Amino acid sequence: MSKTENKLKGRDLINVGIYSAIYFVILMAVAMLGMIPIFLPLLSVIVPILGGIPFMLFLTKVKKPGMIFVMAMIMGIMMLLTGMGPWPLLTCAVAGILAELCYRSGDYKSAKKAVVTYGLFSLWIWGNYLPLFTDYEGYFAQRQSYGQEYINAVQRLMPLWMAPVLLIACFGCGVIGGMLGRALLRKHFAKAGIA
Amino acid sequence: MRYCSKAAQEKRRGFIDPRTKLALVVIIALFVLGGIGGEQMEPVKTGLSALPFLLLLVERQWRRFLHGLLVLVLGYGLLLAMPYLPGVLNYIALMCGGILTRFVVTIVMGEYLIGTTSVSEFICAMEKLYMPSTITIPMSVMFRLFPTVAAEWRSIRRAMGMRGIRFGGTKAGQVVEYQMVPMMTSCVRIGEELSASALTRGLGAPVKRTNICRIGFRIQDHVLLLLCAAVIGVWILELCGVTLWWS
Repeated sequence: MSKTENKLKGRDLINVGIYSAIYFVILMAVAMLGMIPIFLPLLSVIVPILGGIPFMLFLTKVKKPGMIFVMAMIMGIMMLLTGMGPWPLLTCAVAGILAELCYRSGDYKSAKKAVVTYGLFSLWIWGNYLPLFTDYEGYFAQRQSYGQEYINAVQRLMPLWMAPVLLIACFGCGVIGGMLGRALLRKHFAKAGIA
Repeated sequence: MRYCSKAAQEKRRGFIDPRTKLALVVIIALFVLGGIGGEQMEPVKTGLSALPFLLLLVERQWRRFLHGLLVLVLGYGLLLAMPYLPGVLNYIALMCGGILTRFVVTIVMGEYLIGTTSVSEFICAMEKLYMPSTITIPMSVMFRLFPTVAAEWRSIRRAMGMRGIRFGGTKAGQVVEYQMVPMMTSCVRIGEELSASALTRGLGAPVKRTNICRIGFRIQDHVLLLLCAAVIGVWILELCGVTLWWS
């Protein structure tokens, strides 16, 4: 392929926007559950699994380098705007590059690589937990207004050793979500003619 | 063609520049919602919380203002009622109150940004910030699609709920498949039409786009941006351990 064909054009960017919007709406709908302490660690399970459906559909439209990275960066910016702090920007950049390289190695069409790609992309979600783990005391000091019960519950659920567990959960559930997405893709979207 | 004329654009021009709005959203998201800063930031945060409501009043967005105010009052009401409630209700009231009072302000600010900024204005502001179009185009498509996706999802949820496919219904297990798949199918179709319409208007063209939106910093923008800088300044001073006022 020549260089000009690989450049992202209007249509590709609009596609990124469409799928980012669907992914983000699902993400926000699920993230509201995170207010309940027990769901806070579970978010790293639910979000990758449900997000797999739009993302696998998105991957069928990805034919050029950069699209996955741009989507990851947009997620980072949206997290900044919704008050998650600057950490997700960093994890989004790393996860975006990893996912991009993985899908690229499959020549932008390998189905197996697509599932792994989504697993790698899901790693960005881990960034939302980082403010908690990097500044354990400070994080809870800021959340006094939620009440001591809430803080106790979260501290019981989120000891420091949960950090690597959650990272692995993000990847593992990303792979599961990717497989779920592929199954639905074959069952519905291929029939409807949009995959 | 009066709509496109310069005078009409001037009349439609918002109270503050989209760039100022973005700066305010980030500051409010970081400090009020994200909760960075300690004791000394509390009065600053209270001041920041009032800002989006004031802006909505200035732009005469009565409905958004009332909605936000209602939820905020509900949140503080829960916090006030909390000590008089028994047992577990007490804890729930405190949590809901804490969450409501924290989130509402940022949501109201976000609503203000989306409600008073057209896509053209947004792109124009982004260009002036030297954001690459690889980021601005998907972002503006996203902001355009959010209400659509939410509306589609609502209708499909209603339709499927009638057949018992909802949380708590008889076929709760099918929720993921039969709500999300149709929602995504219709959103992708809408998105494709949107994409065709945007391309017809030259979004993908290799030339530099022009824009008739009139944006720019005026006195109110300078004041608000100074305010943002001041908030960051107070935070840095606090980090350095300076006591600004006794609290």
